[in-house]
Amino acid sequence: AGGGRLLDRIRKWYYNAAGFNKLGLMRDDTLHEDDDVKEALKRLPEHLYNERVFRIKRALDLSLKHQILPKDQWVKYEEDHRYLKPYLTEVIRERHEKEAWNRK
Amino acid sequence: KRFYSLKVAPKASASATAAKVKLSPESQDFEITKLPSGLVIASLENFSPASRIGVFIKTGSRYETTSNLGTAHLLRLASNLTTKGASSFRITRGIEAVGGSLSVHATREKMAYSVECLRDYVDTVMEYLLNVTTAPEFRPWEVADLQPQLKVDKAVALQNPQVGVLENLHAAAYKNALANPLYCPDYRVGKITSEQLHHFVQNNFTSSRMALVGIGIKHSTLKQVAEQFLNIRSGHGAPGAKAVYRGGEIRKQTGDSLVHAAIVAEGAVAGSPEANAFSVLQYVLGAGPLIKRGSNVTSKLTQGVAKATSQPFDVSAFNVNYSDSGLFGIYTISQAPNAGEVIKAALNQVKAVAQGGVTDADVTTAKNQMKANYLMSVETSKGLLNEIGSESLVSGTHTSPSAAAQKIDSVATADVVNAAKKFISGKKSMAASGDLGNTPFLDEL
Repeated sequence: AGGGRLLDRIRKWYYNAAGFNKLGLMRDDTLHEDDDVKEALKRLPEHLYNERVFRIKRALDLSLKHQILPKDQWVKYEEDHRYLKPYLTEVIRERHEKEAWNRK
Repeated sequence: KRFYSLKVAPKASASATAAKVKLSPESQDFEITKLPSGLVIASLENFSPASRIGVFIKTGSRYETTSNLGTAHLLRLASNLTTKGASSFRITRGIEAVGGSLSVHATREKMAYSVECLRDYVDTVMEYLLNVTTAPEFRPWEVADLQPQLKVDKAVALQNPQVGVLENLHAAAYKNALANPLYCPDYRVGKITSEQLHHFVQNNFTSSRMALVGIGIKHSTLKQVAEQFLNIRSGHGAPGAKAVYRGGEIRKQTGDSLVHAAIVAEGAVAGSPEANAFSVLQYVLGAGPLIKRGSNVTSKLTQGVAKATSQPFDVSAFNVNYSDSGLFGIYTISQAPNAGEVIKAALNQVKAVAQGGVTDADVTTAKNQMKANYLMSVETSKGLLNEIGSESLVSGTHTSPSAAAQKIDSVATADVVNAAKKFISGKKSMAASGDLGNTPFLDEL
């Protein structure tokens, strides 16, 4: 239990050190857009997709002005959730299935 | 399949007490069971190398409302989408890999999902069939990708003017339910959501409205499968509205030089004794050519219209029966300038029959044609499956071909005349398409 909490504190420290939360971005906004991610993005429900586009636009604007958000608007470690993950795992699973079939 | 038809053919020589010969120790006759949930299971083990299994559901475009028109059409196209047990890719490849096929056939009142494959692979395709009918997921992106297919499907179907005329005929003849088109209306393409599909399936695909039918498979296997997997939704689901006949006309002016016109009155309900009379009347009047490029001698309609015009034409009697209504009338295809003469001549022919202008010989010929048509249609496993499935859905029983033939024989000439009278006196509906300059309106007929 103590080890678990230590690991969690290291995670939180690393999250804040990475710094994308200061631009108002969440973890899944920063994913590199390869084919799987592109396909998963096509499957996002509309409201999640719109929020993502807004956050990325805001971050681009801030980086253009060489600014960051005020501290109270930074994304908190506890609030950041991997919204794209379920869609991404499904896309990757489907790709593996296709490859397994084609290999046989 | 061959053996089945041999078995029930009237025995010409054998003595009355000859026992039925079993073709092999495990050969089974047709068996039908009804589970307590209402699901009907029917099977015929005929030892054919290919098996054909179908799930028949009492649902269709008539169960749509104005807020979800087109759902049944999209559902027809959505049979290969991802389900809880298998992804779309896997369904396609899996069925291909065993050389099977999955198809959906839907009318206004029933949908039939059927798979066929070699006997050895029945388990595999059965799994996909059950997945598709009981546990589809309708993922929003897959449904969205499928919507353009609605347009293509409709365009391909409407290449045939008859499809358009029949859609209009139903829309003109009924106020609701049966008036719903089989093909999605244009304004609904792109708007059907995954939730609507789910709702439709939840409300309509219930055990008491389904039948599981198999040809070339043991009854015990089917029963086991049905008890394990098809007992998911109980109850009757959403009831359909009762079809109300109104009688109207819809005309579609196009540039076609051929005019397609259908004029009907309310006919008989499927399965009623009247339905048999109407069917025999259909064959008396002429239900399609029996010899290619022949002169259609036995068709009264063709002979009657041939006296009225020398231009090419085609005319046949139109008859369709639903669970609570039916349509009976004539369907004509004529050159645009003399469409009026053709239609009037055809109607006069029916009037002649209604006034008693039909002989017993005519009726017997018609009965023979009808019997032959029916028996030939159940010779193929596809026709037989369809026939067993439809009947199981409606009544939970099966009429053997010989019993069906007897029913046809029991129609008297007087019944046929009465059926014609009912058409002449009934409120008419009409649908026409083509260059309609010379096509009369209903009130001019």
